[in-house]
Amino acid sequence: MNLLRRTVRIPMNTFCLHRTFAASALHLAPVQLPSRAESHLWYLVPDEVKSVSLLGQYSEILSPCENEYVACIRGEQLKKTALLARVLVRTTIARYQTDGYIDPRSLKFRKNIHGKPELEWDNDDSGSRPPVQFNISHTASLIACGVTNSSPIGVDIEKKDRKIQNNIISFARRYFTPNEVERLSSISDLNVQRQHFLKLWTLKEAYVKALGKGISALPFSTFTIKSRNFEKKELNGSGDSDPEITVESVDGQRSLLSNWQFTLLELAGTHFAAVCVARDGSMGDKCFTPKKLTVMKTIPFVGDESMSGTDAAIVCGF
Amino acid sequence: MASSVAGASICIKSASQTSNRTSRLRSVSLLNSKTFPFLISYKGSYRLQICCAAKPETVGKVCEIVKKQLALPDDSDVTGESKFAALGADSLDTVEIVMGLEEEFGISVEEESAQSILTVQDAADLIEKLIEKNGH
Repeated sequence: MNLLRRTVRIPMNTFCLHRTFAASALHLAPVQLPSRAESHLWYLVPDEVKSVSLLGQYSEILSPCENEYVACIRGEQLKKTALLARVLVRTTIARYQTDGYIDPRSLKFRKNIHGKPELEWDNDDSGSRPPVQFNISHTASLIACGVTNSSPIGVDIEKKDRKIQNNIISFARRYFTPNEVERLSSISDLNVQRQHFLKLWTLKEAYVKALGKGISALPFSTFTIKSRNFEKKELNGSGDSDPEITVESVDGQRSLLSNWQFTLLELAGTHFAAVCVARDGSMGDKCFTPKKLTVMKTIPFVGDESMSGTDAAIVCGF
Repeated sequence: MASSVAGASICIKSASQTSNRTSRLRSVSLLNSKTFPFLISYKGSYRLQICCAAKPETVGKVCEIVKKQLALPDDSDVTGESKFAALGADSLDTVEIVMGLEEEFGISVEEESAQSILTVQDAADLIEKLIEKNGH
């Protein structure tokens, strides 16, 4: 049921250097909204976007407020990432065309009470959510945007080789739960421990972002993220019936938190990515079917590449 | 409050309850003047919290810790007005910075307060408030 157009793989660098883009020539290939049983994860590598004229076209689809925000960012690389992050959100959402053709410039966003960006939606009064639910995360070198059909979603990415300034166990004692500290302390190899820390951080961030909160509204010491097994396997669409990664509140009321599904990936070879999605169906459902996650690399207005089942999207152990 | 701060400026920032990070910052400067009790200059966004600005040494220390966390060169331009987000700090950086500040100043910053720390000045002001609370 993958209705994305297959694209011929064009060497992106060459393509971007030798084409000039007129605004009217830019169009967005439409994408089918995922079913309720799947989620999409789009990612963009800023270093692969080199065309100055393309970047100029990108600025034109941002709102004045967004352009002002980008202008305030210090440093060319960070500015570029901030620009591309907004472009990825606008163009990705516009492609789902839930209401006919959508100009990415026309999308309006707001932030919820905790600062989570949301699409402004005509049916706000009825309390229903817009069908396109999204969440974005970026580092200086990668931008990821997760999309679902009507389910809350949270995404967080971190560079795999990121160094932690503070002592990891001290940090975990300060901000994580005793169970998580114990798990981290049990890892003797410092590099493996650092990587586990980063995976745990992304999972916890993805969870609070899916809830629409942030660390301030839901301190990380109030819930534990646990894993069942440690195997590494490629993302091929077949999932286990038991969730591998689970979340429990610290007071032990596990039943409250069984409706969240986590996926942890090594993305683009360089990052850990955690995706947290609300499950459909009743809680305590024994025949749980995990939602399928489809991973796509993209450069807006240029092309997409499906990455599911490749080395760029590997489900990793926790 | 104004009369005891002759010549100095007090920042009065108004905070929106919804913590809207896209709102722009305006600060009101209060200068000692006979004719007009305060001179209003609008520079940025709008947050409601009357506070006295932290000592320059505290701001300086925060800048040092921020530069170290974000691996910025020593001579990079980080001041009280610098926004963490604009410097490239993500959520993990911010928490690491707060932890560094806790250790440096011997304070404890609740996660709930982290929401209101958007600039270096915010962090410095909060630090001094917490130090004062500890000390008295």
